[in-house]
Amino acid sequence: MLASIIASGLAVGAVYALIGVTYNTMFSASRVMSFTAGQLGMLGGVFGSLFVLRLGLPLVVGLVLMLVCCAIVGLITEFIAVRPVLKSLDQHLYVLSTLALALMIQQVVAVEWSTEPQAFPRVFGTGAGGILDEKFWLPVLTCAVTICALELLYRRTLTGLSFLAIAEDNFAARALGLPERNLRMASYALAGMIGGLAGFSGGQLLLAFVANGPLLNFYGFVPVALGGLGNNRGAIVGGFALGLFQQAANFLVGGIFSSVAVFMLFIAVLLAAPRGLFGGHLARRV
Amino acid sequence: MKTTRREFAIGTAASAAASAFSFPCPAIAQTEPIRIGWLAALTGASSAPAIGFDRGVRYAAETINATGGVKGRKIEVTTRDTQGDPTKAVNATQEMISQLKVHAVWGPTNSGESLAITPIMARAKMPNIHPCVIDSLIDPEKFPNAFRTSPSNTQWNDAVRTYCIKVLKVKKVAVIADTTGYGVAAAKYSTEALKKDGADVVYVANIDATQPDMTPDMLRAKNAGAEAIVVWSTSTGMDARMFNTRATMRWDVAFVGHPSMSSGEIKSLLEKPANWEKVYAVGYRSCSYDANGKLPPRNEEFVAQLKGKVELSDTLLWWVAGGVDAINLIAKAVENGSTSPDDIIKYWNSVKKFPGYFGDYTWSPTEHNGYPGDDVVMSDASSAKNGAFKLAPGYS
Amino acid sequence: MAISSESAAGTMQEKSLAGTGSWMFSGPLIMIFCLAALVPFVTNDYWVLIATRAAIYWVLVGALNLVIGFAGQLAIGYVALLTLGAYTTSVLVAGNVSPPVPVFGALAIAGVAGAIFGVIVGLPALRLRTFYFAISTLGFATIITQIALAWQSVTGGGIGLPGPEMPAPFHTHAGFYFLCLTAAGLITWMTANIAHSRFGRGLIAVRDADVAAEATGIRKARLLMTIFVFTGASAAIAGGLFAALQTYITPDAFTFDLSVLFFISVLIGGRGSILGPLLGTVILTLLPEFAAPLAAWSTFLYAVLLLVIVLVAPGGIAALLDFGNRRVLRANRTIVPKAALVGHLLATDKAKSGIALRGVVLSFLGVRAIDGVDLDVEAGKIHGLIGPNGSGKTTILNVISGFYGPEAGSIALGGEALKPGDSESRASQGIARTFQTPRIVGEASVLQNVMIGGTIRGQSTFVESLFCLPRHRGDERTLRSEAMTALSAVGLESLADIRADRLQHSELRFMEIARACMARPAFILLDEPAAGLSADEILRLGQFLKAISRQGTGVLLVEHHADLIFDICDYVTVLNLGRVLAQGTPAEIRVHKEVISAYLGG
Repeated sequence: MLASIIASGLAVGAVYALIGVTYNTMFSASRVMSFTAGQLGMLGGVFGSLFVLRLGLPLVVGLVLMLVCCAIVGLITEFIAVRPVLKSLDQHLYVLSTLALALMIQQVVAVEWSTEPQAFPRVFGTGAGGILDEKFWLPVLTCAVTICALELLYRRTLTGLSFLAIAEDNFAARALGLPERNLRMASYALAGMIGGLAGFSGGQLLLAFVANGPLLNFYGFVPVALGGLGNNRGAIVGGFALGLFQQAANFLVGGIFSSVAVFMLFIAVLLAAPRGLFGGHLARRV
Repeated sequence: MKTTRREFAIGTAASAAASAFSFPCPAIAQTEPIRIGWLAALTGASSAPAIGFDRGVRYAAETINATGGVKGRKIEVTTRDTQGDPTKAVNATQEMISQLKVHAVWGPTNSGESLAITPIMARAKMPNIHPCVIDSLIDPEKFPNAFRTSPSNTQWNDAVRTYCIKVLKVKKVAVIADTTGYGVAAAKYSTEALKKDGADVVYVANIDATQPDMTPDMLRAKNAGAEAIVVWSTSTGMDARMFNTRATMRWDVAFVGHPSMSSGEIKSLLEKPANWEKVYAVGYRSCSYDANGKLPPRNEEFVAQLKGKVELSDTLLWWVAGGVDAINLIAKAVENGSTSPDDIIKYWNSVKKFPGYFGDYTWSPTEHNGYPGDDVVMSDASSAKNGAFKLAPGYS
Repeated sequence: MAISSESAAGTMQEKSLAGTGSWMFSGPLIMIFCLAALVPFVTNDYWVLIATRAAIYWVLVGALNLVIGFAGQLAIGYVALLTLGAYTTSVLVAGNVSPPVPVFGALAIAGVAGAIFGVIVGLPALRLRTFYFAISTLGFATIITQIALAWQSVTGGGIGLPGPEMPAPFHTHAGFYFLCLTAAGLITWMTANIAHSRFGRGLIAVRDADVAAEATGIRKARLLMTIFVFTGASAAIAGGLFAALQTYITPDAFTFDLSVLFFISVLIGGRGSILGPLLGTVILTLLPEFAAPLAAWSTFLYAVLLLVIVLVAPGGIAALLDFGNRRVLRANRTIVPKAALVGHLLATDKAKSGIALRGVVLSFLGVRAIDGVDLDVEAGKIHGLIGPNGSGKTTILNVISGFYGPEAGSIALGGEALKPGDSESRASQGIARTFQTPRIVGEASVLQNVMIGGTIRGQSTFVESLFCLPRHRGDERTLRSEAMTALSAVGLESLADIRADRLQHSELRFMEIARACMARPAFILLDEPAAGLSADEILRLGQFLKAISRQGTGVLLVEHHADLIFDICDYVTVLNLGRVLAQGTPAEIRVHKEVISAYLGG
C-alpha cells in the first residue's frame, strides 16, 4: 500500500513539477504567470492520444507532432495573451488575457475532442500493472530528463545564458543588445513543449481528458507557490511533495476531503510565506 | 399582490387581445402541431444518454409525422441543450412553459437538473416524463404531473443487490462511488439498502473520478474481505482504472453496478480486453440478448426497423428506445384525449402495460414509477452489440 | 445620489461645481430600472424569470464590482459565496440544523455568514499578489462545493435540498421579481454611494496608486476588509435569492462558468464604473437565451469577449459610453496657479514645531543610501534638499513618510517620535507629500484624484456612506468644495472633470500638490515638483510654494533646479553619498566651497 502511494505520488508529483516548470519558464521570460500552463499539460495528453491512437501515427511521430503543436500553443499564448499586455504589467491584465485564452483552449477541446476521458497509448509497454508500470516511472523519468536538459541549456549554452540574463534583468539584457523578443518567444515555445511533455508522460495516468486542464492549472501552480516564483528547483521539490501529500491524503481521508486538505495546506503555506518556502526578493516600491 | 385598477385594466386588455387571437380557436386546435419540449444535456460532461435519447426522439417524431401525425396534427419537438447545468435547465423549462407553450415536456436527462425543474413544472401543471433515477423526483401528491419511464434508483439498487446476494451469493460487499453529487448520494443509499438485506458492507469509499491510481482503495476493499464491488459512478475513466487495477492485483472480484461500466468508451481505456470480464452493469431485459443471442421479439423487430436509419453501435439501445417511447407516450395521450395538460395526465395515469420498446409502462394516479422492476437485470458489461447486452450469468 | 462619475465626467462640470446630483450618472441607471419594472407587464413568465436572474446576479456582481472594478482585486471564484448563501438560506428554512427559520431571517443570517466568509476569502488579498489571489479564490470555489457534497446530513449531499419558499406576496413570479429588483436597486444605490465617498475613492487609489494611497492615510487592510464584508454579505444574500429562484439546489448548480460570468460582467462593464458592469450583467445573462443553438460555445464566447475587452477596449462598456472624455483638449496649456487662494486652502492653526531627523541610517542590499543624516524642517519655512543623483534625497522623503523604517536614528514631529515604517499614519499626523513620478489614478477625474487627498478628513463611517446619511453628504460637500478650491489655487479648475491620465505631465505635478494640500498638512514633502515645467511655470510654482509656507506650513523641497531652490528656500541641505555635505541659508550654500566643487559645478 505504502509502495503504491509512493509510486503514484511521485508520478503525479512529477507531472505537477513539470507544469510548475512550465509556469516558471513563462514567468522568467516575461514576468507573467499564465493560466495556459495547465492547459498545455492537458493538451499534451490530448494531442498524444489524437496522433497515436485516433490517427494511428507511430509513437515517435506522434510525440514530435505533439511537441510542435504545444510549442505553437506556447507561441500563441505569447503573441495573443502576453505581448499585448506587457507594456502595462502593473495592471495585471495578463491574469485576464491568459485566463481568457485558457478558457478558449479548454472549450475547444471539450467540444471538438470529448468531455470524457480518452485512452492514451502505451509508450514502452513494459511492466503492465504493478508499481513498476511505465505509467508510474515515465513521468518521473521525463521530469528528470527535462530538468537535466534545462540545466544544460541554461548553464552551458549561450542561448540558455541569455535566457537567464533576461530573467535576471529584462531592461539590462535589452540594453546589452540581447534579442529580448525572440528569446521570449523561444521561452514560450519551450514552455509549451515542457507542458506538453508533462501531459504526454502522465498520459496513461491522467488520460487524455479535458478536465485535466483546470486541475493541472491549480496543482501545477501549488509547487510554484511553494517553491518560489521562477525557482525551478523549488518547483521540483514542491511538485513531488504535493504529489505525495495528495496521494497520502486521498488514502487517509478519502476523495472528498483530499482536495480540501491540499487547498488548506496551500493557503496556510502562502499566508505564512507569501514568497514561497525557498524565498525570493521583495521589489522596492517607492 | 393586490390587483390595482391599472393592472386590472392591463389584464383585461391582455385577455381581450388573447380572445381576439383565439377566436378561430377550434380550427387552429385541430391542425396546430403537438408541441413537445425536449430538455437534453446534449453537450457537456454527461451528454451520452441524451445523445442516445435524441436519436430515438427524432426517429419517433419523423415516423409519426410521416404517417400523417396524430389526429392530423404533426409533432413538433423543440430541443434545448441544458449542458447538464440546472441553471440552464430552469431557464429552458420556463421558456417552454411560458414562451413556447409546449404541451408536454420530455426530460431532462440528469437528476441534478430534474431536481431543480420538477417543482417548476408542477406549479405550471406541465405534463412531464423523464428518465432520471433519483427517487424523490416522483411523488404523485407533490408532483401530479411528473412521470418516470426509467427505473428509479431503488429499482437499480434492488437489481444490483439481488444479483450480489442471490446470484453471486456473496456476503461481503464493498461500495465504491465517485465524488459527484450522484455518486455521494448513490453510495449512501446503496450501502443502507445492502445492509438492510443482510449483506455485510465491508468498505465504502467516494473516490475523485480524476484520481490517477485506484490501488489504495482497491487494496483496502480487498483487505476488508470484499467478495463483490458495487460501483456507482458515471465516470468511464474511473471504471476502466478500477478494472485495470483489479487485473494488476490478480484479484477475481466481481464488479456490479452502474450502467456506465458497460459504456463503449471503456474498451479503449483497458490495458487488455480481458479486464472487462466479470463486470456486471445494470441493464434491461427488453434490451438484452438471451442465450441464443436474440432480443425479445418486439425489440428484434425494432432494431431491424432502425437499421440504416439510427446508428446504434456507439450508444445504448435502451436510450434510443426510451426516446422513442417518450414521444409515443405523448402521442398516444393526445390520440386518446387532447393536448390539454389534464387530458394528457389523465391518460398517463390510466396507462397499463403500455407496450414500449424499453419496457411495459404502468402508471396509476398513486404510482408514477412506470418501469417494471423485474425487467431491471444485470448484463455482461463487455458484450455490447447494437447497443444491447448479454444477460449476466444467472438469469434465465 | 450625488455627484460626478468618471463615466459622466466632462459634460457636467457646471453641475458638479454647483454641487447638485448628477443626472448624467444616475439618469441611465434610473432608466434601466424603470424599464426593468415594466418587464412583468409586457412579457411572459419566461422573461420575468430571466430578468429575475439578472437582478439576482446583479446583487452579487454589483457588490463584487467594488472588489474587482474599484479595488482591483482579481477575485475569480465568487461563486463560492453564492453557494454559501444558497445553502445557508435553504438549510435554515428547511430546518435541518435548527428549528425552521422564516425566509427573511434566513436571508439575514446568510448575509452574516457571507460577511464572515467574505473576509476569509479576502484575507489572502492582503498578503498575496494578483495571480496568487486569483488562484486562492478559485480554490475556495472548489472546496465549498466539496463540503456541500460531503456534509450530507445538512446539505443533502449530491441530492441537494429545496430552496426556500417565499411568503406572500413574493411567492408569485412577479412578486419575487419585484423583490429581487428592489434588492438590485438597493445594491446599485449603495454601491453608488460608496463609489462617491472617500471609501470608493480610497479603493481606486489602492488599485492604481497604492503608494499614494498610503501617503494620504488610506488604511488599505481595513478598507479592503470592509469591502469584503459588504461584498460577502451581498453575495450570500444573492445566493439565498438564487436558491429561491432555482426552487432546488444541488452542488452541480454552482459551476465555475457562473463564476466566470460574474467576473467577466464586471470587466466588460469597465473598471470603476457602475453603469458598465450593470449592463455587462444584463448582457451576459440575456446572451445565452438569444443564442440557444450556441449553448455549447457560450463559455467560449465569454472567453473571447474577455480577451477582446482586455486587448482592444480595456475600459469596457463604461469607456465606450464616456462621451465627455472624447472632447479634444487644447494642446500646450499653461498653468497659472492663484497663490491668493492658498489662504482658503490651508488653515493657519498649525502648532507643530517641526520635523527632526537625527542620525538616520538606511541601507539597501548592503549599500548605505543614507548614512547618519540630521535634518530639521520648520513650520512656515521652505527647506531645500539638493544633491546629485543617488545622494539619498528621495530616500529621506521616504523615511519621513514612513515607507522605510531607518536602521538607526530617529524621526520626530513636534518633539514626538514618529513610528518608523508606518506610512498610513503620516497623513493624520500632518505630513503630506508628492512623488517624483506622479502617482495618480489615471481613470478617475482630476477632481476625484484631488479629493483622495482629503480622505483622513472624512467624518462619516462606511455604513453612513452606504446609506447616504447626512454626515456622508456633509463630507462630500465639504471635500468637493475644498477640492475645487485646491484646483483653482493650482490653476487646474477648468480640468476638474477630465480623466487624470489625459493631463500633461506638468499638470499632474500641480494636481499632486493640490491633493497634498487637501489633508491640511502641517508639512508638505515635494519630490522634484519642477521637473518638466517650463521656466514660467517654475516661477509660478515658486510663488505658490512661498504662499504655502506663509500659511505656516513647512515645506521640504527636493529639487534639481538650483535657481528655484536658491530663490525660495529659507534653508538648504546638500547631500552627497547619503551624508550631509553642507547645511545653511541659500546665501551660505552658494559660497560653500565643497558644494561648489561637488555639485554646483563651479
